[in-house]
Amino acid sequence: MKITFPHLGNVYFAAKALFDELGIEYVVPPLSNKEALEIGTLYSPEEICLPFKIMIGNYIKSIENGADTIIITGSCGPCRFGEYCELQMNILKKLNKNVDFIVMDVPSDIGIKEIFNRVGKISSNSSKSKKEKIKALVKALKIINMIDEIEADAHYIAGYEKNSGDSKRLLNKCKRDAINSKSADEMINILSEYKRKINFIEIDKERKPLKIAIIGEIYTIIEPFSNLYIEDKLMDYGVSSKRTLSPSWWVKNTALSPLKINSLDIKKASKRYLSLCIGGHARECVGEAVIAKNEGFDGAIQIFPMGCMPEIVSKAILPTVSKDLNIPIMSLIVDEMTGEAGYITRIEAFIDLLERRRKSVLFRS
Amino acid sequence: MYYLGVDVGSVSTDIVLLDKSLNVVEELYLKTKGRPIQVIQESFKILKSKYDDKQITASGVTGSGRNIASFLIGADAVKNEITAHAVAALNIDKEVSTIIEIGGQDSKIIILRDGIVIDFAMNTVCAAGTGSFLDRQAERLEIPIEEFGDYALRAKSTVRIAGRCAVFAESDMIHKQQLGYKQEDIIKGLCEALVRNYLNNVAKGKEIIQKVFFQGGVAANKGMKAAFENALGFEVCVPAHYNMMGAIGAAILASEAVKKDEGTKFRGFNIAQSNIIASSFECDGCPNRCEVIKLEENGIIIGCFGDRCGKHSGKIAV
Repeated sequence: MKITFPHLGNVYFAAKALFDELGIEYVVPPLSNKEALEIGTLYSPEEICLPFKIMIGNYIKSIENGADTIIITGSCGPCRFGEYCELQMNILKKLNKNVDFIVMDVPSDIGIKEIFNRVGKISSNSSKSKKEKIKALVKALKIINMIDEIEADAHYIAGYEKNSGDSKRLLNKCKRDAINSKSADEMINILSEYKRKINFIEIDKERKPLKIAIIGEIYTIIEPFSNLYIEDKLMDYGVSSKRTLSPSWWVKNTALSPLKINSLDIKKASKRYLSLCIGGHARECVGEAVIAKNEGFDGAIQIFPMGCMPEIVSKAILPTVSKDLNIPIMSLIVDEMTGEAGYITRIEAFIDLLERRRKSVLFRS
Repeated sequence: MYYLGVDVGSVSTDIVLLDKSLNVVEELYLKTKGRPIQVIQESFKILKSKYDDKQITASGVTGSGRNIASFLIGADAVKNEITAHAVAALNIDKEVSTIIEIGGQDSKIIILRDGIVIDFAMNTVCAAGTGSFLDRQAERLEIPIEEFGDYALRAKSTVRIAGRCAVFAESDMIHKQQLGYKQEDIIKGLCEALVRNYLNNVAKGKEIIQKVFFQGGVAANKGMKAAFENALGFEVCVPAHYNMMGAIGAAILASEAVKKDEGTKFRGFNIAQSNIIASSFECDGCPNRCEVIKLEENGIIIGCFGDRCGKHSGKIAV
């Protein structure tokens, strides 16, 4: 068995460490790029959302590199993501790709027995003891938390750094070093080192950078290729950005959801505007917009793939939030376009708008 | 003493020269035709015969081709179209509260209050209702685009055209024309469909209050202006240099920028004679596989852009 998985932000760090520890063969697909998108659009249903297409591209590249088993998360929620696994299995079958799918889902949807059955399918390929397997999982969780934290720090510090580009440079180097590690322990050491280093970036505390919250559909805000690297761009502009949704957030949220104590702050914040889960992360999107205002952010950017049902609903709610709370919110819809000119125009104009609202006109070129 | 403003748009490239008191003294409107570099060179050739490099004290660029243009001409201000349009409109009238701007590929709404942009929106994934679509329809009907609006004004009644998607709008138009509806009525229907689409899509949830400026190339279309006035129920104002507003804004922003910096970065009109070659290649340094654009002037690289890490453009973090 040679396992692969679709990209979702920093997940590949944790996955690499986990399979390294378990001694299971795996293929990390090349980072999502135009080629993945091209392959994906060729084989996917035309109307399906962008994440589906990029994921298909990831699979095909991995299969070319010998992968025969695909792990993805499932969902029985009301958004199209719930159909991804079935449709994707179907597509790969039609392409004569002989691969197994292992779909991980929450116990409330598929039952605890089925979960053990599916986890067993993976872990039976490992010769390690039960204790070692649990240790491996703990390490992987630690890694995803660490890398997400480092990334979040870098995005935030970018607004305060004295030498522009410091935090971006450090973040990029951190990722390069971490992915070249040979074991989970080595990766944890590297990440700890960078977690320390990021605190040494020279910052100017007097600066009052613009602060923008990134909200919207989880895949398109986490997977940088799909949103044309918006967070990198904001770092270049010297804007502090914050994104609540991340793989580590998802793990925590999913783990706490059976007890209904997940993301209480978001639920509370969104209550006035959207009190129900309507699928995807629409409620989170609205809640985060409210929280962004409360935390003193200057604005929020909502990103979602074209045709995303939950986010269309939140897009319709956000203008009211924006008006009530006096916080500018811009919606960006991503699809197959990789031409960035129009996209950059919108981001720059939004930054201009926020700056002028502060009545301090800065000229950036 | 002139301020140069260049707006490299998808359909047209507009160039203006403003005098010290920000009045337009020269305007050039050329079709971009997908060749932004050559068009800038062409226009500089025209300007060179009338003006001297030293007379240009600031230069600003905007439009979707602003990146390439800034390397080429040496710009003091490189700004997005939204800010540029807002600045230009405010320069004419401080009271403007809404700007409807429809260009070749984009349509935008800019909401201003007390002279500050407080909100804006642009068309998202669909280009229906923009200038290039109107261009294409005019071409198909063999009506000069300049007269397109007059046709709409001559219409006695309206034919309903589906305006949500350019492709479907075109089919709808063809179907109705085959049924024998009058051309004028169909064109009026098209204008109304585009306005409906604009108000329901780009301007969704935005409060449009007077004074409204209608600018961008499409503002030349009287049929569109009438359709907007009809839908909004009040007057829509088309400024004198409606199709130059981006360039005017860029020139004004440049004039402000040179006040802070020392001197202009303007490289002179001589680039009109230079041999400029833009080439692109796919960088294989990492899986991002950026399409990098390289700009060479007489064999010397004057700029690289399009790479995400800065390996080629060399400006930011690697």
